[in-house]
Amino acid sequence: MKLNVNGDIHEIAEDWQGESLLNVLREQLGLVGSRFSCGIGQCGACVVHVNGAPVSSCLLPVAEATDKEILTIESLADADGALHPLQQAWLDENVPQCGYCQSGQIMQAASLLENNPNPSDADIDAAMSGHLCRCGTYDRIRKAIKRAALTMQETS
Amino acid sequence: MAKLSRRNFLIATGWVAGGVTALYTLRNRAMTVAPTIIFPNNASGISWVQIRQDGKCMMYFPRMEMGQNSNTGLAQIVAEELNINVTDIEGVTPNTSEVAPIALTAGSMSMTAFSHPTAVAAAILRENLRARAAAKLNKPMDLILDAPGGFTTAENERLAYADLLDDTPAVVEFDEAKPLPALYTFDKTRKKTQVGRPTRPLDMEKLITGAPIYTADVPMEGVLYGRAIKPPVRNARLDTLDTNGVDGIKGLVKLVREDDFVGVVCKTPSAVDAAMAQIKVTWQLEQPINDDEIAKIIDVDARMAEGELEHIFEDDNHRRDADWDIDLRFEVQTQSHAMQEPRAAIARFNPAGAAHRLEIWTGTQDAFAMKRLAALDTGLDDDDVVIYPQRMGGGFGGREHYEVEMDAVRLARAVKQPVKVQWARADEFMCSRSRPASAHRIRLAADDKGNLSDWWHGYITGHIVLARERLPGWLLPVMRLGEDIGTVRGAVTPYAAPHHRVEFSDVDLPIDLGVWRSLNAGPAVFARESAVDELALKLGRDPVDYKIEQMDGAHPRLQACLERAREMAEKRPLPKGKGYGRGYACGIYEHRCHVAASADVFVDAATQTIKVTHMSCVEDVGLAVNPDQLRAQMESNIAWSVGMALMEKLEIGDDTIQSSNFDNYPIPRMEDMPHVDADIIDQPGIPPAGAGEVALIAGPAAIANAIRQATGYRALRLPISYNDIKAATKS
Repeated sequence: MKLNVNGDIHEIAEDWQGESLLNVLREQLGLVGSRFSCGIGQCGACVVHVNGAPVSSCLLPVAEATDKEILTIESLADADGALHPLQQAWLDENVPQCGYCQSGQIMQAASLLENNPNPSDADIDAAMSGHLCRCGTYDRIRKAIKRAALTMQETS
Repeated sequence: MAKLSRRNFLIATGWVAGGVTALYTLRNRAMTVAPTIIFPNNASGISWVQIRQDGKCMMYFPRMEMGQNSNTGLAQIVAEELNINVTDIEGVTPNTSEVAPIALTAGSMSMTAFSHPTAVAAAILRENLRARAAAKLNKPMDLILDAPGGFTTAENERLAYADLLDDTPAVVEFDEAKPLPALYTFDKTRKKTQVGRPTRPLDMEKLITGAPIYTADVPMEGVLYGRAIKPPVRNARLDTLDTNGVDGIKGLVKLVREDDFVGVVCKTPSAVDAAMAQIKVTWQLEQPINDDEIAKIIDVDARMAEGELEHIFEDDNHRRDADWDIDLRFEVQTQSHAMQEPRAAIARFNPAGAAHRLEIWTGTQDAFAMKRLAALDTGLDDDDVVIYPQRMGGGFGGREHYEVEMDAVRLARAVKQPVKVQWARADEFMCSRSRPASAHRIRLAADDKGNLSDWWHGYITGHIVLARERLPGWLLPVMRLGEDIGTVRGAVTPYAAPHHRVEFSDVDLPIDLGVWRSLNAGPAVFARESAVDELALKLGRDPVDYKIEQMDGAHPRLQACLERAREMAEKRPLPKGKGYGRGYACGIYEHRCHVAASADVFVDAATQTIKVTHMSCVEDVGLAVNPDQLRAQMESNIAWSVGMALMEKLEIGDDTIQSSNFDNYPIPRMEDMPHVDADIIDQPGIPPAGAGEVALIAGPAAIANAIRQATGYRALRLPISYNDIKAATKS
């Protein structure tokens, strides 16, 4: 069984072929940026992109992800380390507190901006509704998404 | 190890291998079985700051990181004292073998307790380096002037710190007999370069790139996975156990049973889930677990009818039979921490002769208590156990107990391999040591002029700091002779009344209790600020004006916060129309943190919802070391205020905790989060007080008071639902 993650092909050991995508990413591939939090797709901490769409990796059996392109938070910055505009905006707004949910938030926001380069507050609230942040960084997430949208428009 | 001097202790750990290290450290290495409560003071501080030969500044971070970023604030203080930039400091979170015990990270105490010792440590390091510069230039100390990253003279003889170091490591210790060096951090007249400026918290880059930083991220050769069954309450005993289905689970390594402890170790995480699902248990309880049972125990009116409550906290010319204008009972619900990271721990046992027989990686608010408790649990010596503290994905008071650590330790011992345990979300709710439910009777009377004449607040709450499960059984009755600092928090009113009583009882409840953000202050201030608001309305007064008058000039900092919150709120006109309202509340947390909040709500009959649209929040907590992070804490507490006022309630019934995930314990989502304006009244001359839970005392009452203005409904019970309003306003 092979898995395409961030452009690299990985062989999945037999013992792990019945696991969730999240468990394989974290425990077998060492890509720990996607976090486990609720286990039922209620919180968004484990969101990755599967064929370009945001997906809760805790719910997706790895066996169903083998023929797909998977992107995780670790792929968002350039290979040379240049941050994605969203990551830069997250830094500029000092968004994270405990930080545990932020990978998932950023991956969801990346998906939002791909489909809607200039989202309103209501668009943002709707798109981000599946992502919990117990620290309550929501207001800063809104600001960071808008900041990143502006940067991406200016540079495109 | 206890025989080593502090100086030798640090040298033995290799930390002071080079450069100059300033020590301002603890005299007493006492270990506790209770939460570690060794706070630094002028005689016994705890801080390490070091300049290495290459000029690099390193410091030990004394605080467990969970998003409050107090270590960043402490690094700013070091940078201010040393005339360097905070980004030039490398912080190290020490393991429990590298330093003497440090107080648990809790209670918004970090800046209060650690800012001064940290400043002293950095300042004595600076003055030691200044003396070296003086010797090198053969000039008196007072001609050696500060410069960025070093010193200079009137003749422009520039010396960087690195120029002042040789190959001999040196340790400078705080000497109580000598006068304190100048502390730049607390110098009101100094134009500061680091303190008081918004500073990006350390580790931010790791958090936004998904780097390994939490416990479950720690790579571990040969690790296995495990979990253990959790009882609904700690004093439950295993009644029946059925593990018949476990053996058939693919990937099972071992089923582990030690008395009431039952767990599994497997090769993969999903095998753990499958094996755990096969374990069926029932528990013997000491009392039923349900809401009715709790309501009976905290029935404040029944207890007050019988006579005085257990503790008379304030008592001044009290009149039982005053002509009460307000006589209201407020009830506050049980709440769970629901931090985003389910607790995790990794345990590894090593053969005899290793530096440590047992290593534990965990995110905890009290690493030193974990070390002690793991030693007691395994029969190892304290010094055979080491805790490597990891960043926590939220704490909020809920992570100071030896629990997930115990699971990992017992399972790793049983299989003689390292074991990683990450709790399921349901375990988090089951094992939450909840904020207790409480009930408050508040009676207020006003004189002919409308001024408060009588104040009577009686309340019953579950125990908090002295909760049954937090201390060993033999210590509990002794500790309970004194006050529970959790249940008294928030009991002092800022409003003057010549006749005055505050009394309360703290009680055991059928569920496990503990420390939750703001402790009793959130519930008590919600009740008080609601009651005074109602009195003002009854008297036909503006609630903000009335509250300021009733402070009688005694709390100018609180008054200033409330006035500023009103100014900020009034910049945004409230929409005209049915369902809109604005409310205010204020309070003083721990005698030193001042806060006021406004809330705008829209109670929408069409969608049958309550929406908090906007909140303002103003704090005066003394010196604002990192204003941006102070604002971040205010925003966080505003989110929690919305949860406490409108959403959260731990579901309890049928002898267990029913809440198991975010579908049956909803917490605020983005669409629930109001826009927040946060402002700070800075006091550069007043030492910083903590801010991690302060705004949570004002937010819920501001929301309740806004709903009162919008609909006429006075919320007497949290969380408030649209149906409560509908039912009350119909009748």
